[in-house]
Amino acid sequence: MNSQEAALFQDKKIGFFIYLGVEAIMFAVLFATYFIFTPAAKGPYPTEVFEARTVLLSSFFLLSSSGTLLIAEKGIEKKNQTKVIVGLGATLLCAFAFLGLEIHEFYTFVQEGYGITTSIFLASFYVLVGLHAAHVAFGIGWMIVLFLHYYRPKVSYSLYMEKQIIFSYYWHFVDVVWVFIILLVYLPYL
Amino acid sequence: MIWKYLRTMNHRRIGIMYILFGIIYFFRAGLDALFIRAQLAIPNNDFWVFQGEKYNEVFTTHGTLMIFFVAMPLLLGLMNIAVPLQIGARDLAFPFLNALGFWLFFAGSLFFNIAFFINMTPEVGWTGYTPLSRAEYTPGAGTEFYVFGLQISGLGTIFTALNLIVTIMRHRAPGMKYTRMPLFAWATLITSFLILIAFTVLAIALYLLMFDRLFGTGFFSGEEGDPIFWQHLFWIFGHPEVYILALPAFGIFSDIIATFSRKRIFGYPVMVVSITLIGFLGFMVWSHHMFTVGLGPMANTFFAITTMAIAVPTGIKVFNWLFTMRGGVIHFTTPMLFALGFIPSFVMGGVTGVMLSVSAADFQFHDTHFVVAHFHYVIIASTILGVFAGLYYWYPKITGYILDEKLGKWHFWTFLIGFHLTFFPMHITGLEGMPRRVYTYTQADGIFLLNAASTVGAFLMGISMLFAVWNVYITHKKGEKVGNDPWNGRTLEWTEASPAPEHTFEPMPIVDEIDAFWFAKIENRSLATTLAVRIKPLEQETIQPFFIAMALLVICTGLTFTWYWLTIAGAVLLFSLLIVRSFTDERESFYGKEDPYE
Repeated sequence: MNSQEAALFQDKKIGFFIYLGVEAIMFAVLFATYFIFTPAAKGPYPTEVFEARTVLLSSFFLLSSSGTLLIAEKGIEKKNQTKVIVGLGATLLCAFAFLGLEIHEFYTFVQEGYGITTSIFLASFYVLVGLHAAHVAFGIGWMIVLFLHYYRPKVSYSLYMEKQIIFSYYWHFVDVVWVFIILLVYLPYL
Repeated sequence: MIWKYLRTMNHRRIGIMYILFGIIYFFRAGLDALFIRAQLAIPNNDFWVFQGEKYNEVFTTHGTLMIFFVAMPLLLGLMNIAVPLQIGARDLAFPFLNALGFWLFFAGSLFFNIAFFINMTPEVGWTGYTPLSRAEYTPGAGTEFYVFGLQISGLGTIFTALNLIVTIMRHRAPGMKYTRMPLFAWATLITSFLILIAFTVLAIALYLLMFDRLFGTGFFSGEEGDPIFWQHLFWIFGHPEVYILALPAFGIFSDIIATFSRKRIFGYPVMVVSITLIGFLGFMVWSHHMFTVGLGPMANTFFAITTMAIAVPTGIKVFNWLFTMRGGVIHFTTPMLFALGFIPSFVMGGVTGVMLSVSAADFQFHDTHFVVAHFHYVIIASTILGVFAGLYYWYPKITGYILDEKLGKWHFWTFLIGFHLTFFPMHITGLEGMPRRVYTYTQADGIFLLNAASTVGAFLMGISMLFAVWNVYITHKKGEKVGNDPWNGRTLEWTEASPAPEHTFEPMPIVDEIDAFWFAKIENRSLATTLAVRIKPLEQETIQPFFIAMALLVICTGLTFTWYWLTIAGAVLLFSLLIVRSFTDERESFYGKEDPYE
């Protein structure tokens, strides 16, 4: 990365951090919504709905995906192709596993009659956790595009590096939001 | 030329488009205001169709357009044009994002405006209060046009605010420290932070309302949710929004007053601190819109006190403007007249604001025309006069022409007189108990003459806008180009050609004090320049931002009419465009080359 690229990258980094700040506010408002309406006066109590096993399993995958992404970050730093591909590939697989478990969880809830309209508690649960799941899905698409960039012959290393680093900020942020979801949404009612 | 503008990433062109559409909507919303005043001109009036629901529609459109699609784009347009020129930036930090921000605003405004033509105008007020805005009370698609129109344009506003912050943080000219920035740039910086927080909260409020309306949740219902929750979210957005509208205007006035008093602004550091304080306190006062909700005496007292506290930094600013003029060589140009008209008018709005903040008294004032008078006094005096002042002031930088001074003064005086004639009587009708958002009153109420005066004033304001239109026409017909510095200005934008060229600041001036350009002129020297500057933002011409915004429009159209196939099609289009964007990044051809400076 030469000095001009470094300057542009610094712009982008700051811009992206500000964007993540915006995301943080979004999630904060949704957490507040969840606090206000949970547990709801009517409808099921959260402990009847949540299941520890799914949460544990999906958390395992998502939290370790932050770890595997660190491998890819090390790889890009050291120009180690294996580390980049293994790291990013493992992250992608973990993300798929997490998203699959989320869909399974939502599907099970709906099957048990706990839909979005069932109660205000479930509504605030779905808009928060659903938005987070949408972020994971977006991240999956982003990772696939990153792979395509990596294999393009034309793309310069510094540009790829920039793209991957920005992605890793996003992914770690999505992970941190999940930690808050575990602590504030699930844990009090498991 | 349209094709060029559709694909542009240049900050001045984008600014021009913001201003152009802001003005178009200003005329539409102004026409709505004239309909409202025509209906209220005499007691028991039946003007055209504007009674009952139609009246609700017309004030909803008036308010929503004026706030979101007039004031916001006009200010963002001026920021886009002036801020980079003032601080020595060669463009906004992310030109693509800037274009996207504009087109998102455009798509949102288009979506909101279409509602009228298919007879689905929203009728929930610009505040969209629940439970009225929930599906059981406004079942048609009208409210969706409100929800999605604001959602799309709000997203654009957030992107532009982010962009402006990074520009100001990273792209200032060498030597342009924060303590040397023009005050409009400072106001833009603080405003952008307010936008990031306020518009994000609004986005989530609209997101929840969308779920309520389309997917049957009950966040804002009376039974399981809480309608008051909407009011909290809305005003956590809505009150800072007032400062989002006012602070940039304060910045414009600060620069104009200093320029035409031929004096450095009085108390520069205090000016910066008070903008920041106003911005900070702006987030602690939202419940003063909700005094009558019944939050209890503790909450009301708290919010009353924080509200009164805002008068302190605002008062400091007013005194600083006055002290800037004291002992100055005042030039009564059109921009300066607007600035001078602003000060007493805005102070009047501030005084009624402090009256309204007395929560016990507010039970009397709430939802009367007294409130209408108050917020028009603050917003028109600050934002609208500020935008006019800014447009007259920067018109040479935007177009290369200077607007006719004589017609400008006609515009100013008719507008100012019309404005006071319209809104001053509303204080009294409001105190007499005339409620807002009600389409008629009776002879026995004894408020006929005051209302008639308001109507006359409103039409006078309408006429004053014709002077502005005529002025633009005459100026362009004459076509007399002006030089770089027609106003004898103080800041960097006046070192550049008029209109500002595509590639600015080559070579880059070096700034060594506040108003460096002015002091260089006084000492008969030119500003030192340098060629060793950081890389400017990369640009290319592309239609992608336009299509990305249109894809969102398609998604929202699908959601509005629950044509989910269309939503899915729009989403596919959106994500394809994002992928295309990722592969046609303007950085592609730039990166991986040798650094010319190394």
